[in-house]
Amino acid sequence: MCLVLFSSCKNEGSKIVYSNPTGEAVPVEYAKGFEINQFEGYKLLTVKDPWPKADKTFTYLLAEENASIPSEVQYDLKVTVPVKKIVVTSTTHIPSLEILNEEESLVGFPGLDYISSEKTRARISRGLITELGQNEAINTEILISLDPDLVIGFAIDGNNKTFNTIKKSGIPVIYNGDWTEESPLGKAEWIKFFGAFYNKDEQAAARFNEIRNSYIKSKELAKNANSSPTVLSGSMYKDQWYVPYGNSWQAQFIKDANANYIYGDTNGSGSIALSFESVLDKSKDAAYWVAPGQFQSFQQLFETSSHYKQFKAVQDKKVYTYSNSLGASGGVLYYELAPTRPDLVLKDLISIFHPELLPKYQPTFYKALR
Amino acid sequence: MPYSARYKGLLLLLFVVMVLMALVNVGLGSVEIPLQDIFSILFTNETTPGSSQYIILEYRLPKVFTALFTGSGLAVSGLLMQTLFRNPLAGPYVLGLSSGASLGVAIVIMGASVFGAGTAVLLLSKWSLVIASSIGSLLVLLAVLMASAKLRDTMAILIIGLMFASLTAAVVSVLAYFSPAAQLQQYIFWSFGSLGNLSWQEVSILAIFWILGIVVAIFCIKNLNTLLLGENYARSLGVKISTNRFLIIIATSLLAGSITAFAGPIAFVGLAVPHLIRQVIPTNDHKILLPAVIFGGAILMLICDIAAQLPGTEYTLPINAITSLIGAPVVIWLLIRKRKFIF
Repeated sequence: MCLVLFSSCKNEGSKIVYSNPTGEAVPVEYAKGFEINQFEGYKLLTVKDPWPKADKTFTYLLAEENASIPSEVQYDLKVTVPVKKIVVTSTTHIPSLEILNEEESLVGFPGLDYISSEKTRARISRGLITELGQNEAINTEILISLDPDLVIGFAIDGNNKTFNTIKKSGIPVIYNGDWTEESPLGKAEWIKFFGAFYNKDEQAAARFNEIRNSYIKSKELAKNANSSPTVLSGSMYKDQWYVPYGNSWQAQFIKDANANYIYGDTNGSGSIALSFESVLDKSKDAAYWVAPGQFQSFQQLFETSSHYKQFKAVQDKKVYTYSNSLGASGGVLYYELAPTRPDLVLKDLISIFHPELLPKYQPTFYKALR
Repeated sequence: MPYSARYKGLLLLLFVVMVLMALVNVGLGSVEIPLQDIFSILFTNETTPGSSQYIILEYRLPKVFTALFTGSGLAVSGLLMQTLFRNPLAGPYVLGLSSGASLGVAIVIMGASVFGAGTAVLLLSKWSLVIASSIGSLLVLLAVLMASAKLRDTMAILIIGLMFASLTAAVVSVLAYFSPAAQLQQYIFWSFGSLGNLSWQEVSILAIFWILGIVVAIFCIKNLNTLLLGENYARSLGVKISTNRFLIIIATSLLAGSITAFAGPIAFVGLAVPHLIRQVIPTNDHKILLPAVIFGGAILMLICDIAAQLPGTEYTLPINAITSLIGAPVVIWLLIRKRKFIF
């Protein structure tokens, strides 16, 4: 894919000598997908894994209004910071904006109904956020007419025609790769990526540290449990059972909550499709079943397949789903908030597997199947 | 009649192979169950520990019956259509039945996001898909029947079936364009077809439709044989062409419609099995062909399912990938070996 380079600003004025030609790296502990280097008057943001197995990295120049940029600086796109009007394309981007108190800058989003957050829903109902169409099919004309300073996109691969058109109109499109991160804290750390665009790097770091500390504290707490129950995850479609891989984001939560995930030893990305037979054989006696897909009630479960009745977790009514925590317009809260708040996901699971450790805890995402 | 005796022998052989394949199918899967256990589960009242009893009785056995009904039903539908249109390329879905079914299913799975019924992911019970698929097939069938009542020429029905397929494909693609990934995936998976996960109750309903369809097909045997001589010739022999056409279409719809509703649109079997059987039993007598394709279709489906289950591994493959993967080379090989196309 070829990137069209834009530098809408001319470098005017004489060059100044920089005191920090190498820049100062913003500390990033867990995330593997981005780096930020701070220079005087500008930052260089590198996105390393915009999509899985990407063979290219993107370097974005985030520059103050009147900063002069040395001519040898190489970059793919330039963004003037702090940004005032932004378009994001995934609900997972919204919690970061809210945590940084920048939700007011959001002017457009594709698929408004998916957004669950009450703060942002209130702005939608006041008509402050424009609907940009459905997921992959962003309405380019409406987007360009909004004239945002920045579009945060995500790409499954490097060929998104819509984004190329938007770039040609002079609006920078920045790829966010938070969804390719594999660790819970790695995903959450992308709040620093958002912080960079608002010049709120310190605030982003401080809020991330709170989340990290809370996560680590909960993980330590879970180690005190006197048992480590077996857990099944995923669900069946037709006669294929889809379970998350043992090294996946979902599975790490289960492990960190001190439980024994049945497919914990598998490796890969996404989820594995297994035959119903083998899942029944292996997981029949699992104590818990978490994240059974879209199911909200036992009735739905049995309507889809009576085979589910064979599992001990179903018989004991120990099935927990995030599909019952919905936003006002039906969006699933977990999809939106879980990547940014892994500490809440972990606490939910600890309160399920080891209720004695977190008495009186009110779960955010995971609720018992009705 | 030594040659018809030979055909009867071949029929018996096909039947035996079918029974054997059914047993092999029950015996193989992701979970290894010792032969001894399988026999005691199937033929005695002893209970075995663990999940093997459930896997055999509630999962593999219904799957075997589903494979029997789908394979044989589609093969019979394919034979009926090939004879009706005197066209070797016709299959069970030429009337547009699967297109109608796919439109029904697409509207149920993906319609919500387009017609703006909120974006809460609709959780579909199996029945909603079965009903949607049946209604879709039924509407197409009614349209085809209305057209066929107006048309003297059978070939025109073929064109109408193709037009329906194009129309529904267009509507489905519009729905797909506006659908979120999860729903799109659900639809795609439905289109892959699946023999597993049918309860005994569903298998029984499928069985009822299958029996009805086969009975109607048996009624058509004599007329099918005369049809091969050409419609005008058949008329001169006193065959009521339009009534006959109506019956053949009804039989096909009962079989292909119910199979699509429960197992999804399963490719290739209906088109290929009649050709495979004609290569093995070179006759045009439907008295022989009909039972032969019933056994042949069931055998092919059972073999494909065994392959799709990838015995011994935890993985399975979609049945539609396998039917063509196994079936197509066999047909090609047979045609080349015989150097003669029997139709």
